[in-house]
Amino acid sequence: MRRREFVRQGVIGLAALGPGLPGLERYGRPAPWLLVPMDDAQSDHLKAYGLAFRLLERGGRAEWFLNYRGGAFLLPADGATSRDAALAGVTTEPLDDGRLVAIRGEIGDGNMDAVPLEKAPKVAVYAPPNAAPWDDAVTMALNYAGIKFEKIWDPEVVAQGLRRYDWLHLHHEDFTGQYSKFFLNYAGAPWLVEMVEQNRSMAKRLGFPSVPAEKRAVAVAIEQYVERGGFLFAMCTATETLDLALAADGVDIAAAYADGSPMDPGATAAMRWERALAFQDARLEMSPTMPVYSDIDGHQVNSPDRRQPLGSFTLFNFSAKIDPVSTMLVQNHRQVIPDFYGLTTSFTRRRLKPSLTVLAEEPSAPWVKYIHGERGQGTWTFLGGHDPEDPQHQIGDAPTDLSLHPHSPGYRLILNNVLFPAAKKKELKT
Amino acid sequence: MASTLRAGILVLLALGGPVAAAPGQQATMPRAFELERRGNYEEAVEAYRELLRRSPDDLSALLGLERVLLPLNRSAEILPAARAALATDPASAALHGVALRAWAAADQPDSMRAVAERWARLVPGDEAPYREWGAAALAGRRRDAALEAYRAGRQRLGRSDALAAEMAQLAIADGDYGTAAREWGPAVRRLPGYRITAVATLGHAPAFKRAEILRILSAEPDFAARRLESELRVKWGDPLGGLSALEGGLAQSRGQGLDALRALVDQLRMLRTRDALLAQGRALEIIAGRLPPVQASRVRLEAAQAYSAAGDRDAARRMLAGLADDRTAPSAVATGAAGALVTVLIGEGKLEEANRRLTELRPQMSGEEYALLTRALVAAYVRQGQLARADSALGRDSTIEGFALRGWIKLYRGDLAGAVESFKSAGPYAGERADATRRTMLLALLQPIEADTLPALGAALLKLEQRDTVAAARELEGVAEALPPAKGGAEIRLLAGRLSEGRGDPELAERLYRAAAAPETPATAPAAELALAELLLKRRRTEEAIAQLEHLILTYPESALVPQARRTMDQARGAVPRT
Repeated sequence: MRRREFVRQGVIGLAALGPGLPGLERYGRPAPWLLVPMDDAQSDHLKAYGLAFRLLERGGRAEWFLNYRGGAFLLPADGATSRDAALAGVTTEPLDDGRLVAIRGEIGDGNMDAVPLEKAPKVAVYAPPNAAPWDDAVTMALNYAGIKFEKIWDPEVVAQGLRRYDWLHLHHEDFTGQYSKFFLNYAGAPWLVEMVEQNRSMAKRLGFPSVPAEKRAVAVAIEQYVERGGFLFAMCTATETLDLALAADGVDIAAAYADGSPMDPGATAAMRWERALAFQDARLEMSPTMPVYSDIDGHQVNSPDRRQPLGSFTLFNFSAKIDPVSTMLVQNHRQVIPDFYGLTTSFTRRRLKPSLTVLAEEPSAPWVKYIHGERGQGTWTFLGGHDPEDPQHQIGDAPTDLSLHPHSPGYRLILNNVLFPAAKKKELKT
Repeated sequence: MASTLRAGILVLLALGGPVAAAPGQQATMPRAFELERRGNYEEAVEAYRELLRRSPDDLSALLGLERVLLPLNRSAEILPAARAALATDPASAALHGVALRAWAAADQPDSMRAVAERWARLVPGDEAPYREWGAAALAGRRRDAALEAYRAGRQRLGRSDALAAEMAQLAIADGDYGTAAREWGPAVRRLPGYRITAVATLGHAPAFKRAEILRILSAEPDFAARRLESELRVKWGDPLGGLSALEGGLAQSRGQGLDALRALVDQLRMLRTRDALLAQGRALEIIAGRLPPVQASRVRLEAAQAYSAAGDRDAARRMLAGLADDRTAPSAVATGAAGALVTVLIGEGKLEEANRRLTELRPQMSGEEYALLTRALVAAYVRQGQLARADSALGRDSTIEGFALRGWIKLYRGDLAGAVESFKSAGPYAGERADATRRTMLLALLQPIEADTLPALGAALLKLEQRDTVAAARELEGVAEALPPAKGGAEIRLLAGRLSEGRGDPELAERLYRAAAAPETPATAPAAELALAELLLKRRRTEEAIAQLEHLILTYPESALVPQARRTMDQARGAVPRT
């Protein structure tokens, strides 16, 4: 896959400087284009991503105008795309060649870039078979935008099934195998009973001695997927627990109810952080009853004494021509976004590895919200929090209806990630 | 308690005027108060202590010291002063209370027990030592110690109902609603003032605990328990059950029974369900039976109105029997009763009798009351299809409600132009909001029809008014066939389709919707297509529904229904949850 060349700094978007999108020439000249504005003129920001994605699925090609009108898309004005836009209620603006040349000039002069989108990535969402479709922000975003995906779980991951996908999403799975540490506080709740039973049988079926052992194997397979060039996007507690599971190489970090033996009292010191993707030197939470894993999370939502109030986070600006990947990941019509809780809400600054890129932070707070990094040939992106439009998110809350939030800036961050693997690799300027 | 004392004392201080304190001045009570008021707790502590050194039994100073030590988190420091005060006045309840709170702050449960027992020996038979002991323990968040205090009190006092309210509140805090119900019964029996607290606290019980609470209360033989049970049943949405529970205890408690019934009626007046209105009528009827005739007549009228509002016309008539013609009843009551009787008669469809009564009543009634009842009578004539009688009864009523009624009369006669004119004159404010919406829908239906008169349409809509949906749908379809789609045919088919769907004939509804979705009627077709898609979704023909919605969105992109169509399509595709 060799995606890494694409993300290397110092590239120049040749397409932006060129006369037009070569792949679009088949639609004839003068080329009738559709500009999909992503600023406040857009009537449905989230479905706009689906519009671009489905065009790629049909074999079409598009361009992503980074930092131009909120991260606009340029699409061919063919019948299928126009029809799709009308059905989805996505605002489009007809564009002739003259106006397109002017826009390219504007992009060339400013901190903007035009990135070709050439292939719809094959998307996988990691979730147990009985996961409710309304309890995962990414599933909701993909469903709403009309982006196809496949659900996979532990058997597929352990059997090297990730090779078939370009993009993998993790949400609130607990890769430490401790059932989100709800085991004692929600004992007897039907949903927890089902979760425990399901995970125990799966561990047994796959030949692992315990759920924590099986989940660690899954975490390692996911890390290897990234190493080989996969794109990983994780939210909520999947971010923190994935890294904890990876770093707990030979260390028992699971409570006795999960694997039959208590947590190693010296676990914090024994962690091998070089195995983790994003975090280092975290202190582990030793109480089995406290639904908190470590001090990686800045907000500690389930700890009455340590819980921090929600603020808002700010997206960073990047140089579109030099750092297109980070720029893609922060395309938005809002720069400041209200924060939202999750089992892991944010990432403490002092626990971040120095090599990663911070994409969004809460200014002056000791935590950041949105981070990105590389591992081998692939990349990973972590976004804290559970549901951008359900800031408190309690168990049993009504599902979020995204048709009521078509402009959600938080959900745009998720969809930026889905489209980012579709971007064409750029040649290094020599 | 400390904060209450502080507030009270500060109010007294404020009434006494400003107090100046010079540095080095000997501590006085006003100076100590002033330091406390300013939030200078450290110096206030010293001031109160100096006062206590001079007069160890100065209760005001001791309470002041307790108040200012609390925000400093040094409550336990009051112990020496409390001991000294008790030595001078060993029987003081207030001083014992201070001592108990001080020991609680010092986390010394044995000392708390010793103080409480010493105090109890001084006041045998009094619950106060144990109550204060428990309260002090609770202030220190020691629930077990509080329970121990209350149990000790109950044992020493030798009464099973001693400290029942305290035990009940402790049980409520623990979520033990069964124990709370068992304790509140005797507590309310001894001190009826606790009833409001008992209902308020037990009322919060989760649904699955309620049956247990009611079972416990119903097993109690006394009227206090009946009343508790009754109020809880009403609070939990069973007004008839609440009344029934109270009725079961009325025989044993005549005096309290009337009060209880009146309180129940007040509680029921907050509810507008049919059962609540029936229970209200029944309770008022029982109250009337316990009152002298002159007072009873007014209550009977209220009962009749409640029964009538609940739709129990027989009961309303029973209450009104004789009341309207009773010369001994106050005139306002007699007139009110007669008016209520007219309403009952209209509800029963006895319109001629209602008309006769109304004519007789006219001299005694206010103009507004008379007009209101007349319009109710006119509406009833319209529903019965007696349009000439309705027109005659309405007379020259020039209110907006009158214009609205006239519009319906004209519509059902087939005078479409006249109906439109009257509905427009009535405007949007006649009657309830639902009435206004209905008129607007009718105007939209009539607008594309070119004919000024169309008796067949009037007759079909009258069938609809009379709730004969089958005949209405059939006749509307017949009318639509005679009209071009763009000249009202499509709108009438859409209405007929909705009626057919509503009465469970989806095949006919689908045929009518498809016919109404004619391309030459761009004002009607989007609504017909949306209705058709929703019908298809209900019949699990999802793909067809989605195709229909796509057609609507692409064909009528400017229609106001497009956002709703997109949302329905999202729901059909599973892109958003169904709500």
